[in-house]
Amino acid sequence: MSVMQGGYKRKSKPSSDIPDSSLADMAFLLLIFFMVSTTFPKEKPRKLDFPDAEATQKLDAPRKDIMHIYLERDGTVYINDQPIPMDRVSDVVAPQYVATDHKLVVVLRADREVTYSYVDAIQKELQQAGAVRMTFYTNLEERVRRARR
Amino acid sequence: MAIMKKRNRPSGAIPTSSMADIAFLLLIFFLVTTVFDEEKGLPIVLPEQSNEVEVSQRNILHIVIRDDGIVELKRGESPSVSTVTANMIGDIWRQEVAQNPNLIAAVKTYPTAPYRYMIDVLDQLQGAKAERISLQIFEGN
Repeated sequence: MSVMQGGYKRKSKPSSDIPDSSLADMAFLLLIFFMVSTTFPKEKPRKLDFPDAEATQKLDAPRKDIMHIYLERDGTVYINDQPIPMDRVSDVVAPQYVATDHKLVVVLRADREVTYSYVDAIQKELQQAGAVRMTFYTNLEERVRRARR
Repeated sequence: MAIMKKRNRPSGAIPTSSMADIAFLLLIFFLVTTVFDEEKGLPIVLPEQSNEVEVSQRNILHIVIRDDGIVELKRGESPSVSTVTANMIGDIWRQEVAQNPNLIAAVKTYPTAPYRYMIDVLDQLQGAKAERISLQIFEGN
């Protein structure tokens, strides 16, 4: 029985078009979000194996006041993608410390297996440059990360 | 004049059919290039170079990190040394600081010890809310 008796046959024809009038709006919304939140890194991130720590904190400093020092497993120091001899680190940090109005925070991104003598040498160089605020870059330990979720 | 007048009526509408394509193209570019770089770690303030302060031995907890990861503890002037693992430092610090609020943790690491052992100890100390931490290199007794 395809025809109903005593009434109008209702014709429900769904539109075959996908409504795409708001597509551009959505794309622009996402676009603006990513444009605003994107920061292009000044230096190439080095692939190092960082240590884990439960007490890892988020660093609360403006990006312009942060300086990264990479310390590789063999003790090589990289600042702004340039290898720097250990005894020259203070010469690179000192002008930056002055430029940031003494607000510089040095983030030491050292490989977890590097021997401590190199880390100590970096600390001495920073003290020499007067940049005493530093952070040891660590990853939040996996079990803490899971527990926080 | 027999020349036919050409009617050239410009369209009043702005062509917007390719707008979404352009927006998506840019969107994909930003999606691919965006990195949410998070700065994190264990913060510490180093002492000023010319700012050496004499501290009474009574207020120092010596924490020596050996190159095998074993931690030696020595309380102030006491000659006794106890060996512990890094994950016990937090509890030990809480007990010690409850007895002496002026306590300073003097963390001395062997020059040949991997950096992560020092981070393990620093992590425990910061987790136990230690504020007075001194990081040094172990130069023998």
